[in-house]
Amino acid sequence: MKPALAYAAADGTFAATWLLLAFPAVGAAILLLGGRRANRWGPVLACLAAGAAFVLGLVLFAAMLGRAGDDRAISQHLFSWIPVNGFQVDAGLLLDPLSMCFVLLVTGVGTLIHIYALGYMAHDPNRRRFFGYLNLFVVAMLLLVLGNNFLALYVGWEGVGLASYLLIGFWSARPSAATAAKKAFIVNRVGDVGLSIAIMLMFATLGTTSYAGVLGGIGALGANSGTVTAIALLLLLGACGKSAQFPLQSWLLDAMEGPTPVSALIHAATMVTAGVYLIARSAPIFNLTSDGRLLVTIVGAVTLAIGAIIGCAYDDIKKVLASSTMSQIGYMFLAVGLGPAAYAIGILHLLTHGFFKATMFLGAGSVMHGMNDTVDMRRYGGLRTVMPITFWTFAMGYLAIIGFPGWAGFFSKDKIIEAAFDKGGTSGWVLGTVALIGAGVTAFYMTRLMIMTFFGERRWDPDAHPHESPAVMTGPMIVLALGSVISGFALTFGGGLQQFLEPVVGRSAEEGIHTISPTVLTLITLLVVAGGAAAAYRQYGTQAVPRTAPQAVSPVTVAARRNLYGDAVNESLLMRPGQYLTRALVFVDGRGVDGVVNGLAAGIGGSSGRLRHAQTGFVRSYALSMFGGAALVLAVLLLGRLG
Amino acid sequence: MTPTDIPAPSIAYGPLWPMIAVFLAAAIGVLVEAFVPARRRRPVHLVVALAGLTGGLVAVALVARNHHHPTLIAERAVAVDGPTLFIQGTLLLLGIAAVLLLGERSLDSTGGTFVAAAAVVPGSRGERQLTASSTMQTEVFPLAMFALGGMLLFPASNNLLLMFVALEILSLPLYLLAGLARRRRLLSQEAAVKYFLLGAFSSAFFLYGIAMLYGYAGSVDLGAIFTATGTVGSNDTLLYLGIALLSVGLLFKIGAAPFQNWTPDVYQGSPTPVTALMASGTKVAAFGALLRVFYVAFGPVRWDWRPLMWGVAILTMGVGAVLAITQTDVKRMLAYSSIAHAGFILTGVVALNRSGLSGSLFYLLAYGFSTLGAFAIVTLVRDADGEATHLSQWRGLGRRSPALAGIFALFLLAFAGIPLTSGFTSKFAVFSAAISSGATGLVVVGLIASAVAAFFYVRVIVLMFFEAPAPDGPTIAVPSVLTYGAIALAFAVTVVLGVIPGPLFTLADKAALFVR
Amino acid sequence: MTPAYYLFLSAILFTIGVLGFLLRRNAIVVFMCVELMLNSVNLSLVTFARMNGTLDGQIMAFFVMVVAAAEVVVGLAIIVSIFRTRRSASVDDANLLKY
Repeated sequence: MKPALAYAAADGTFAATWLLLAFPAVGAAILLLGGRRANRWGPVLACLAAGAAFVLGLVLFAAMLGRAGDDRAISQHLFSWIPVNGFQVDAGLLLDPLSMCFVLLVTGVGTLIHIYALGYMAHDPNRRRFFGYLNLFVVAMLLLVLGNNFLALYVGWEGVGLASYLLIGFWSARPSAATAAKKAFIVNRVGDVGLSIAIMLMFATLGTTSYAGVLGGIGALGANSGTVTAIALLLLLGACGKSAQFPLQSWLLDAMEGPTPVSALIHAATMVTAGVYLIARSAPIFNLTSDGRLLVTIVGAVTLAIGAIIGCAYDDIKKVLASSTMSQIGYMFLAVGLGPAAYAIGILHLLTHGFFKATMFLGAGSVMHGMNDTVDMRRYGGLRTVMPITFWTFAMGYLAIIGFPGWAGFFSKDKIIEAAFDKGGTSGWVLGTVALIGAGVTAFYMTRLMIMTFFGERRWDPDAHPHESPAVMTGPMIVLALGSVISGFALTFGGGLQQFLEPVVGRSAEEGIHTISPTVLTLITLLVVAGGAAAAYRQYGTQAVPRTAPQAVSPVTVAARRNLYGDAVNESLLMRPGQYLTRALVFVDGRGVDGVVNGLAAGIGGSSGRLRHAQTGFVRSYALSMFGGAALVLAVLLLGRLG
Repeated sequence: MTPTDIPAPSIAYGPLWPMIAVFLAAAIGVLVEAFVPARRRRPVHLVVALAGLTGGLVAVALVARNHHHPTLIAERAVAVDGPTLFIQGTLLLLGIAAVLLLGERSLDSTGGTFVAAAAVVPGSRGERQLTASSTMQTEVFPLAMFALGGMLLFPASNNLLLMFVALEILSLPLYLLAGLARRRRLLSQEAAVKYFLLGAFSSAFFLYGIAMLYGYAGSVDLGAIFTATGTVGSNDTLLYLGIALLSVGLLFKIGAAPFQNWTPDVYQGSPTPVTALMASGTKVAAFGALLRVFYVAFGPVRWDWRPLMWGVAILTMGVGAVLAITQTDVKRMLAYSSIAHAGFILTGVVALNRSGLSGSLFYLLAYGFSTLGAFAIVTLVRDADGEATHLSQWRGLGRRSPALAGIFALFLLAFAGIPLTSGFTSKFAVFSAAISSGATGLVVVGLIASAVAAFFYVRVIVLMFFEAPAPDGPTIAVPSVLTYGAIALAFAVTVVLGVIPGPLFTLADKAALFVR
Repeated sequence: MTPAYYLFLSAILFTIGVLGFLLRRNAIVVFMCVELMLNSVNLSLVTFARMNGTLDGQIMAFFVMVVAAAEVVVGLAIIVSIFRTRRSASVDDANLLKY
């Protein structure tokens, strides 16, 4: 690693980096401000904007590969934001291998999902607005990953939150959608507070928020110092909110109220992985605090378990996929928490997951499209033959997620399990075991989903007439399915991604010191996965699936169906105490100003209510107060003179 | 003594052109009123006024380019320096936007925001007939131009007598304009009478202060007062009487506590385009004059008046922020918000250094446009009785008209000082200047007041976006290109100054030097 | 007789004007009290001109008179229009805008 973080200037091809943001930004502006005129061609324009950004991303990628490893971080200065009193905040972009991965993922998968949405949203009257929001999301996400300082990251962070809020609540006529949007917004606020305090803390201790300054200067604070750990934990809180990790995971399931392309893009492939990006980007901070790293792995392990268990219980196809997303991001957190050894593996899993989860969400959308927007898997069954393309693409995603040898997940997830065991010590064994069992449970619920949807007898609603989706939808699905098959192999071939990311996240651990030999571990993993899949087949493949969910089930299932009481926990941990506090404060206030929930505000509101009556409306009383003021001014000046 | 013994003053007219252009347009406006047939007056007025303001803007640019050295012209009465030109440029831009709002007439089904004939008694039969017709009192244009001319002259005066005259030129037309609303004329007339009586009261104090300073220094030239304060032996009591009484007049105009009482009543009762002009233009001009007087003339005795300004700033921020919370009328809430902002700008004045001055200049421009834009949007939300200004009527506006409510929310966020809006950068500028001058306590109070203020701005946003609209809620009037232009200008300034404030900061910093 | 007495007289007149503004209800009378304040300032200005031995103060008094005249025009217009509406010139009656 280089001694200090120095970035090359953006010249040549890289001078166009800012255009990455400009294309979708212009698209969003035209669509959102263009009015009804843009209704007809707006959606296509949005696709073109995203596509243009992707092409530019590829060009920049090629240019980046042409440079030496240490020169690949390119910083582009845009303008000085606040130059006052010798204090300076610059706005600028940073394109390095890590952000490059995200740029390609966001624009590439983003473009495909834009195209898919052309078909999926074809009959929605508000689709211009929808595509405008999608472009807005792409801008914000790119800003998040391309900013060269934490402030820009924060702006992007809030931007994707806003876009997510708008898109979850897109069908705002449904009260459930509006509620879900609000919930996502509020839960995310909790995380955002953590992130914003972390940034303030950085600024207070290091006097800057730029990556170069913070990540290069954090070492001066010393390993495991209180400040570093505090910053790391606050960053983790922010990451948990955005990435739906324990204990802030509950919003993601409700977020499925949004249109399916949104679930695929924002709540599977890109936005929810921003937490992983944040931790990988802040690698120098986390490298300095072993407590912080340990907590990241614990959060990851707990969430991957929770997600996997919940995934087994839901009958709603999108919610199963959402809990699976939670669980897979748990794997990523686990990986990046393991430290320099596994950052690259975490990012690898992030990329492969982006492909296969998007594939499956689009597949689910295609199924829903054909089934009158039914999401209950107990009303599916036997769709294999009526929707062959959907089935085959979905199957590719399925094989990838369970880690079938050769498919993408096999290269990324198994590596994480391996890295967890390699951590060594009790914690390594515990984390590794959880990850291993998680893989088995993943195989169980994904097999369950496959069987209930595509195999077995047809349990359709009488008015359902399933049909294959149009080419504009199946096209992107096929491309993504291809990605689910080959991306794992392609990215690890010859240590590709590892070496590519090395300048940013540091070198991986040496090969050879393993707790369990990789070959043995791979075999064990495959066995566990096969066991999970077989159990699901025995349960759902050999006996008929009832059309309504059975009620006489084990307590575990009940708990899982209720989201493992995640909402209840949130309620009792966050909401209730808040309510008690406000009630107490209102009680103390005594006079109880109606409708004011916050005690302090009540105090101010009360005095405001009393004070405003001083504004009597009489000219003469105003004049009196002016005269009194004049006398006071005079007295202050003259007395100050005497004293 | 023969007449030739009196030397004629030499006046360099060049740098006066920004003011001459505006006054000329105002005078032509009076002629238009006399000679152009009634139905063609409004467009002619609009062209004349906009031409005058644009001409003034060009003149400001030319003066800024050709006069690198700040000078005092017209027998030291008018100062042509950085702050003058910066504030004049700001005022002319604000004036253009305000004139566009004044000229709007497609909002009300019966035309215009202004009364058909001010002399006709409200509620009489004659009035009903006139209101049904599309006539309007077109004198508003020359009146507004005279007021703008006064505003241009006010911060440029280096001579207290001229400053007094400019104060009256800017105030008298505004007293009249306040009373010319087409709807709710009783409120409008009440606003006019209150504004007039209290304004006259305050200018009497201002004038008495001038007399005292004249007695102290033997001159009303700011430079002469500066020299006199530096010498020992003069009668100090006169000086402090003068400072105190002069401050009363200036603090009244900027709406600082305890001289803020008139603001909410007058802002609420006046026709909204006039409120927009008052809230932006008057505040900018009055702050310009306040800055000049205190920086140029009273610099040597700063240790005596700084505690006073501390107190006024704290009181103003507190009163504005706290009282705004319980307001139920949008215009009244914005009025209290403008009081709070006067307090924030005063922290920049108290800093009394170059960055304080440049920060205040920046703040004035940013705030002027946000507040103008906010009032422009208030003109669009209407029901059968005219503007629907009660906050409960704004419930769920975001569902009906997301774009409009979104822009209004942006202005509110700018008032609250959220990053990426002009409000954040300007607050940052004045607060950091105050800290660098050692006024940390004041900044702490300022931050607390901002937090309280953010509460009621966000409350309005929540009201607009998260609550269901009332079934009989107001409609969003479709304005002509005039109002769109004004809103677009305000919106653009608010966003650009939030995202790329650098160039303007540099400009304000370059401008921040008074000539003495 | 020292010129300072004129200054005291001027201060007394100014105070009477202020008190009149605060105590009287009729808008016309209130307005005349403002005029009294302005003219008391004129007295001060002229006195200071005498004390300083310059003419400026006396010139300023003329300026003030002109401005006061303009103020009368505007003020009377506003007061008359509100009187015609309300049939009352009491400033306390104009009390719709408050709180």
